[in-house]
Amino acid sequence: MTALLIIHGLVAVALLGAISHQTLATWAPARARPGSFFGRFRAVPSASFANAIVVLYAVSALLGGIVYLYFRVDIRPDLERAGHWQTLGLFDIKEHFVAIGLALLPAYWICWRRPRADESTRTRAALTSILAFIVWWSFLIGHVVNNIRGFGS
Amino acid sequence: MTSSHAFRSFAFAYGTMFAVLYVVALKLDLALFTVYSSLGVVLLGTHHARDVVDPAMGFVVPTMYWYGWTATAALGALMFGFIAALLPEQWTRRFWLGWFWVAPALAMIACVYLTMPWFRL
Repeated sequence: MTALLIIHGLVAVALLGAISHQTLATWAPARARPGSFFGRFRAVPSASFANAIVVLYAVSALLGGIVYLYFRVDIRPDLERAGHWQTLGLFDIKEHFVAIGLALLPAYWICWRRPRADESTRTRAALTSILAFIVWWSFLIGHVVNNIRGFGS
Repeated sequence: MTSSHAFRSFAFAYGTMFAVLYVVALKLDLALFTVYSSLGVVLLGTHHARDVVDPAMGFVVPTMYWYGWTATAALGALMFGFIAALLPEQWTRRFWLGWFWVAPALAMIACVYLTMPWFRL
């Protein structure tokens, strides 16, 4: 289970990087020749990240869904006994957000890969931002829970 | 009606309605199935422990509803998605595009609100 959790974490890191690049490039596209690190960070072809983000999100959610089965039996009861109610609440919010984000993937993919000429880019930017928020939230809360009580501890 | 139009309508309707139906499933506790991971048992519908004599049994046999809520919302959203895919393009073009991200954002806020009891313990 620890190996699966580590793979889940590594996939999440890759997803975090991809969606952060894309979100920044969407909201603050770089000028022609970016000189700074921040400038280069957002000077990526955003659309080319969409396929990778969809696959990484789906894989990360799948792995999270499998790990969650063991989390509920091995980890959560200990957190309940220790009274970590706020942490459990934050984790529940993560579950809800991830499910909503998963369902948004087809629309997100269409916005990036099959955009309509007459369509505003606002929907695309908003969906990307929502997904970025979900990914960051999930990563941070997952990390916090793992720090409190990880598998094998 | 092109296949790309049908897929586009399906994808947007599915994402939007999933978010709405997920909140409904969460609020009304409508899980399509309940998972008992320690026993490896899955029961159709929402099942709550009725053991009031020894509530500690909940620690031994924890119940999981998240998969069931997700399945409920996914099933409902699939139906809306298929209906949207059948609609003519002129109809779907009238739909305000903002709903496709406003609805999920509002659903996320509702999920936070429904989780607030954890923070009052």
